[in-house]
Amino acid sequence: MSAAPGAPSTGEASAPPVHVRPARDADVPSIVPLLLRLKRLNEEFDPLLKVRDDAEPRAGEVVRAQLADPKAVVLVAEGSGADREKVVGFVRASLRERPFYTPQVEGTIVDIYLLPLYRRRGGGEYLLREVTSALKAKGAGVVTAEFPAQNEIAVRFYAKRGFRPVTSIHARTL
Amino acid sequence: MAESAPAARPPHRLARRRDASAEPPTDRRREGQTEELGRRAVELSRFYAGKIETVPKVPVRSLHDFSIWYTPGVAEVSRAIHRDPELAFELTGRWNTVAIVTDGSRVLGLGDIGPLAALPVMEGKALLFKFLGGVDAVPVPISVKSPDEFLATAEALAPAFGGINLEDIASPKCFGILEELSHRLEIPVWHDDQLGTAAATVAGLLNALRATERSVREVRTVLLGAGAANLATARLLLALGQDPSRLSLVDHTGILHAERDDVDELSVRHPWKYRLALQTNGGGRTGGLAQALDGADVLVAASTPVPGTVRPEHVRAMAPRPIVFALANPEPEIWPDAARAAGAAVVATGRSDFPNQVNNSLVFPAVFRGVLDARARGMPDEIVLAAARELARGAERKGVTAQHILPTMEEAEVFPHVAAAVADAAVALGIARHRRTHDEFLTRARQLMARPSHLVRALAQARLTRPMPRGRPRRSTA
Repeated sequence: MSAAPGAPSTGEASAPPVHVRPARDADVPSIVPLLLRLKRLNEEFDPLLKVRDDAEPRAGEVVRAQLADPKAVVLVAEGSGADREKVVGFVRASLRERPFYTPQVEGTIVDIYLLPLYRRRGGGEYLLREVTSALKAKGAGVVTAEFPAQNEIAVRFYAKRGFRPVTSIHARTL
Repeated sequence: MAESAPAARPPHRLARRRDASAEPPTDRRREGQTEELGRRAVELSRFYAGKIETVPKVPVRSLHDFSIWYTPGVAEVSRAIHRDPELAFELTGRWNTVAIVTDGSRVLGLGDIGPLAALPVMEGKALLFKFLGGVDAVPVPISVKSPDEFLATAEALAPAFGGINLEDIASPKCFGILEELSHRLEIPVWHDDQLGTAAATVAGLLNALRATERSVREVRTVLLGAGAANLATARLLLALGQDPSRLSLVDHTGILHAERDDVDELSVRHPWKYRLALQTNGGGRTGGLAQALDGADVLVAASTPVPGTVRPEHVRAMAPRPIVFALANPEPEIWPDAARAAGAAVVATGRSDFPNQVNNSLVFPAVFRGVLDARARGMPDEIVLAAARELARGAERKGVTAQHILPTMEEAEVFPHVAAAVADAAVALGIARHRRTHDEFLTRARQLMARPSHLVRALAQARLTRPMPRGRPRRSTA
């Protein structure tokens, strides 16, 4: 439940500094630290997003399970130049049934993260485009994104790309 | 690094200048001196009941004159300003009046002691403004909670002032407040803990680089401490051509780089530090101070004072003939003798009892003199750099050497030149309401900066200020 795609692209999307491809099992050790960075960032926005002590092993399990799940999409972004083999970002999304609404299948982006140096250069936009195509190819008729309500950078990133708030999740501690 | 007293006999001089071989005064002795100065300050603050007062600058021959200075005559002055707001700079003291605004959230080394307890410090600052810059400064400690409230309050105060000096505001909120207030107001806004310290540091560095035959474009530089002063110093150095890939900022968690664990948190909590993390990316390095300093030419330490933060082996690992600025007060991160023994070619501190004192008082009075004389609409970095360059040039009068990279407070003839350079920069940038030639600015700055010491002397001679009591002064109400 989160997204930190960095800031808006500066319009250099024609030559993004990253290469995006589907994730493999071998990528899991590279994805986990990035996923944890994202979750720790989310912690900044709300105490209900406090990261658990066992988040690291859990992250590995979750990502591995999704790699085997046909209803999930996990992509990684690799850098360019000296960082060509390095995973510098990832996106995680899953397909969900909408029993009462149409379109019937929703593709939800749950995590999108790029290392800071790769932001603001079209990489986030590229990741978003690629994950959207993958979700569409799997039958999604609508794409949604989850992120902390207070993350205004994420709000702006998605708003610029045609996303608008549809449902809200409100919480209180029990 | 607070500014030190500028008067003929600054209190720091009680600790006489030491030769390089002498041991640093013992902690106990230094504490004794500080204690004694503190005791005197409380006694004398009570004796004089504060440090500044408002004095008329017009003749009052009889009560009839008040029909000019006040109603009914003054109404026409108000009407004129109502028609043309710029006339406030001609017809009132706005041209020379500055607010010293603080929320008391980071006062000297005392921390968050609040606006009321900050008042004596702001009064002292107002005294420095007047004595050194000829600037009428008004202490304005404000009770506010949030940065938004601070901004709204400072903005609301602006009509009375030709400039705003922000003082003793905690980091990182000081960055946002300075940026936003500068954006909102049509007068110069300055935060001395950022810009004053950074300008003095950069001035010293320019001459230290000359003294060691280096160029800012090629040096590897390490800034230790990522607070108000060093973040501003980093920005100014980059503007001067410092290569970001040869610049490392180091804070308590080590070298600041784009993949440090806390970098996303910084993007939310401290965008200024975040931007520098990305821009410098650690100067291509990760790790701690030792990794940063390996082979570095320049160290500027402006950290929370923890003596011994910089060790001789750190300096020995730097490039040959390194430049070391250890600016923490009262105890520098490394003592100058230790730094020199470890090979430092140029050493600067924040203290007046060593050569090369990096001192805000070298900067802020002249900067305000300059922007006020040009009636500048703002305070862009170009103005700060103009001040730093001119201050560096000022040191040349006595010759730039490793022991003399900055003018001392006694080299007062330098300051009107800094003021004129600042005013020139405002004109060149097109933000001066008052465009004059360099010579006109210089003459005016000399006059206005010289006047207060005459005033102080005349008041003393006329017994309008009472002589400083020796020893323990008697209690007084006036």
